[in-house]
Amino acid sequence: MLALTSILIFVTLRVIPGNPVITRYGATRGVDPKALEALMHQLGLDKSIPEQYIDWVGGVLRGDFGVSYFSQFSVTTLIGQRLWPTLELAAVALVLALLVAVPAGIIAGMRPNSVIDRALSGFVTMGMALPPFVLGIVLVAIFAVRLNLLPAQGFVDFAEDPRKNLTLVLLPATTLAIVCAAPILRFLRASILETLQSPYIRTAEGKGLLWRQVVLRHALPNALVPTVTVIGLIVGNMLGGVVVIEYVFGWQGLGALAVDAVLKRDYAVLQSVVLLVAAIFIIANLVVDLLYGVIDPRLRVGGQGT
Amino acid sequence: MHRLIRRRAAVVILVLLGLLIVTAIAAPLMTPYSPTGIAAGDRFLPPSAAHFFGTDELGRDLFTRVLYGGRIALGIGAASTVIAMIVGVAWGFAAAMRRGWIDEILMRLADSAMAIPTILFALVLVAAFGASTINLAVIIGLLLAPVTARLARSAALDELKSEYVLAAVASGATSMRVLVSEVLPNTVPALLVLATLNAASAILAEASLSFVGLGVQPPDASWGTLLFQGYQRIYQSLWYPIFPGIVIFLMIWLLTLLADQLQSVLDPRGQESVRS
Amino acid sequence: MTVGAPGAALPTADTPTAMLDVRNLRVSFETRTGVVTPVRDISFRVAPGQRVGLVGESGSGKSLTALALMRLIHPPGRVGGQVLLNGRDVLQLGGRELAKLRGGQVAMIYQDPMSALNPVQTIGHQVVEGIRIHMNLGAREARDRAAMLLTDVGLRDPLRRMKSYPHEFSGGMRQRVMIAMAMSADPVLLIADEPTTALDVTTQALVLETLMRMVEERGSAVILITHDLGVAAGFCEDIQVMYAGRIVERAEASRLFRHPVHPYAEALLRSVCDLDVNIAAELPAIAGQPPLPSALPSGCAFHPRCPYALDICRTVEPAPLRIGAGDAMAECHLAEERVADAVASGDR
Repeated sequence: MLALTSILIFVTLRVIPGNPVITRYGATRGVDPKALEALMHQLGLDKSIPEQYIDWVGGVLRGDFGVSYFSQFSVTTLIGQRLWPTLELAAVALVLALLVAVPAGIIAGMRPNSVIDRALSGFVTMGMALPPFVLGIVLVAIFAVRLNLLPAQGFVDFAEDPRKNLTLVLLPATTLAIVCAAPILRFLRASILETLQSPYIRTAEGKGLLWRQVVLRHALPNALVPTVTVIGLIVGNMLGGVVVIEYVFGWQGLGALAVDAVLKRDYAVLQSVVLLVAAIFIIANLVVDLLYGVIDPRLRVGGQGT
Repeated sequence: MHRLIRRRAAVVILVLLGLLIVTAIAAPLMTPYSPTGIAAGDRFLPPSAAHFFGTDELGRDLFTRVLYGGRIALGIGAASTVIAMIVGVAWGFAAAMRRGWIDEILMRLADSAMAIPTILFALVLVAAFGASTINLAVIIGLLLAPVTARLARSAALDELKSEYVLAAVASGATSMRVLVSEVLPNTVPALLVLATLNAASAILAEASLSFVGLGVQPPDASWGTLLFQGYQRIYQSLWYPIFPGIVIFLMIWLLTLLADQLQSVLDPRGQESVRS
Repeated sequence: MTVGAPGAALPTADTPTAMLDVRNLRVSFETRTGVVTPVRDISFRVAPGQRVGLVGESGSGKSLTALALMRLIHPPGRVGGQVLLNGRDVLQLGGRELAKLRGGQVAMIYQDPMSALNPVQTIGHQVVEGIRIHMNLGAREARDRAAMLLTDVGLRDPLRRMKSYPHEFSGGMRQRVMIAMAMSADPVLLIADEPTTALDVTTQALVLETLMRMVEERGSAVILITHDLGVAAGFCEDIQVMYAGRIVERAEASRLFRHPVHPYAEALLRSVCDLDVNIAAELPAIAGQPPLPSALPSGCAFHPRCPYALDICRTVEPAPLRIGAGDAMAECHLAEERVADAVASGDR
C-alpha cells in the first residue's frame, strides 16, 4: 500500500513541465548550459524516471531522503528539524481534544436530547464545518490582536526556551484541538448511547452500582472500543489540518516545510515529506487496528490478520 | 423534494444557501463598487453603511471583493464537485460492477490516494500542474474522486443485492442496462448527499489552497485569497480577514447541514458518510 | 377446598407476615399514542424461602413485574403501588439505599447470559465487583469468596477460569456464573427472569438444579419467571399465572396442575405437549393472540379467547376470588362454579 502511494506521489511530481533546476537559478538567460547539465547530473535529474524512482526508494529505505533541490541541505536533515515541532503540535492538540471531547461525550451520551446535549451537538456541527485556518485566524484575532494575551506567530525550539515554546504552541494546538474534538465527541456520544442500551448495563445496575459507577465502569470502557478507531481517523485528518495551521501560526513544522517546498518547486523535499506523512497515517491506522485487538478481548481469540 | 420542503430546518438552509449563491453570481448587480477599483484615501475602514464589510489596504470595498470572490470560489467549487462526481461515480460503479481483480486494483488505488491527507496531496498536484482556475477545479475534483468512488461503490453494491436487480439479470439484462436502469436511479439519493458533502469539501479545499497562495492567483481573488490578504494585515484591520472567514465557514456549514437534511429525508437508513 | 368470600388478596390476621409484600403494583409507559399499562395493579406476597413461579406468555407483563420490583424501569416507564420488603417500600428508597438493596438483599438473574455479562471484563472481575459492593472484603478475600461461589455453581478450577471472558464460556456456564454473582451476598430474594429460556434442554436441567441448590443452602426466596410450565412445575411451590397485566390465578403448584380454575390456566395446561398425546388429533392451542397492552379488550381481558365466556365477561372485569385459606385465588366470573365442580369431582 505504501509502495503504491509512493509511486503515486513520485509520478505526479515528475509529470511536470517545469524544471526545478531552472527555478533554482532564477532566469534561464545567461546560464551556462554546462553548469546546468552538471547540476542536473548532481541531482540525478538526467536519469530516466524509473531510475530516479528506484534511487529515491533505495535512499528512503536507507533513511536517506536525498538532497533538497533548493538548499544544499539533505532532505533528511530538513525533515529531522521539522518533524519534532509537528509531532509536538499534534500531540498537544490531541491531548487537549481528548480532555474536552471525552467528558463532553460522556455527558452528552448520558443525557440525550437535554439542553446540554443539544448545545454540544451544535458545537459539533460547527466544529466540523469550520476550516481550521478560519478558526485559527479567529483565535488570533481575539487572543493576539484584541486581547494581546498570546503571540500570534513564531516558533522557538523547546530545548531552547520551554516556556516560550509552550506559549507559542497554545493557540495552534487549541485550534487543532477544537477541530478534532468535534468528531470524537460526536462519535463517543453515539457510542455511549448505544452501549447504555445493552443488557449488561442493566445487570450492573441490578448489582447495586450507583448510576455514576455504572456509566464509568461499564459503559465507558465498552464505548471507548470503537471510539479508538475514530481517533485513528482523526489523526489522519489532523495531519492535513496541521499543514495550514503551521502556515497560519508560523510554526516551523513539516506542514510549513511542505508548503514552502511547493512554492519553491522543491520536489525532493516535497515528495519525501508527503510520503512521510502518508506513512505516519498508515502506521497510525495499523496501530489503531492492533489496539482494537488489545482492548476488545472478543477479537483476540483466533484473530484475523490485518 | 417535497418531503424536504416540508422540513422547516431544510427550508431555512436552502434559503440561506440560495441567498449566498445568488448574491455572489449577481455580484455586479449587488454593488456599485468595482472589486479592483482603488480609492487610496479610505484604507482599512471598519464596516459602515457605505461599506458593509469595510475596506481593504487599497481602499477597495470588501463587500464587493467578497462577492466577486464568491463567484470564483463557488465556480471552482461547483466545477470540482461535478468532476469529482463524474469521475468518482464512474470509478466506484466500475469497481462494483466488475468485481474481481479490477475491483481490487481500483480500490487499492483509491485507498492509497486516500492515505495522503487531502491538503498535502493538493499541494503536490498544484506543484505539478500549476494553479490556474481550471487546474484548480480539476485538481480538487480529482482529490475528491477516490472517496466518492469508495462510497459510490458501496452504494452500488447495496443496490446490486436487491431483488429487482436479480430479477433484471435473470431476465437477461446486460450489466450496462442493469447499471443504468436499476442501480443508478436507486443510488441517486445517496449520491445526492455525497455531492453536497463533496461541494462542502471542495469549497474547503479551494479556500485552503488559496489561503496558502497556491490557489487562485492575483488579480483574481477567491475567499481564501482574501482571507490570506486579510490575515497579513490583521493588526491593521480585524474585519478584513473576519468577513471572508465567516463567509467560508457559512458556506461549508450550510452545505453540511443540507447534506444532513438530505440524508434524513432521502436515505434514512444510510450509513455515516465520510467527511474529510 | 373451601371457597372464601370474594375480595382482594390482602393479608388477614392469620396469614404470616410476608417478606415481600407487593401491593397494587402498576407499570405504565407514556407513548406518543397515549398511556400504556402493561402491568395493572397486581398484588402478591412471598414468604421467606418460598419459591414462587410467575408464568405467562410473552406480553403478559411478567418480565416488567420483575424489573419493577428492582426499580430497573426507567422513564418513560413509571411504577406505581408499593413494594414492601420486610416492611420498607422499595419504591420510595433513595439512590444510595436502593443501590445497597440491589445485589444485596434482592438480586436478579436475566434471560440471555451472553449479553447480560460485560464482554470486555473478565468473569472474575465481574463477580468480585458484585462481592465488594456489598461485603466489606479486601481484594484477596473477595477473590477467594468469588472462587468459592464459582465452585458452588459447579465451575471447576475457578481461579483460572476467573481470568476468562464471557464469550469463552458456554451458555450454561455463563448462566451459572450469573447465579454465582447474584447469590454472592446471600440475598433473601432472588428474581430469576427466564433464566433457562436461552438454553437447551439438558443445560436447562443443570442450571435449574444449580439454582435450587444455591437458594436452598441460603434459604433465599425465589420468584421464577418463565413461560415454560414444565420448568415452573419442577422448581416452584406456588405458581402465579399472568395474563394481560393481571394475575389471573394463584395456587399451589400441585393443585394448579390438577385443577386449574381460571380458563386461561386450564388452556395453558392443555396446550402443553404430552408425549402420550394422540398424534392424529389436532394439537390443542389457544385460539387467538394475547392482547397488546395498548389494545386491551373490555371486561375480562381473556374473554375473546375463552371458551366459557359469558356476557358479563365482556363488560365487567372480574374481581379476585379467594380460594381456601391461603393465598390461592382466581380472577374469573365463573370461578365459584369451577371451584365447586372441582370439589365435587373429588379434590381435597
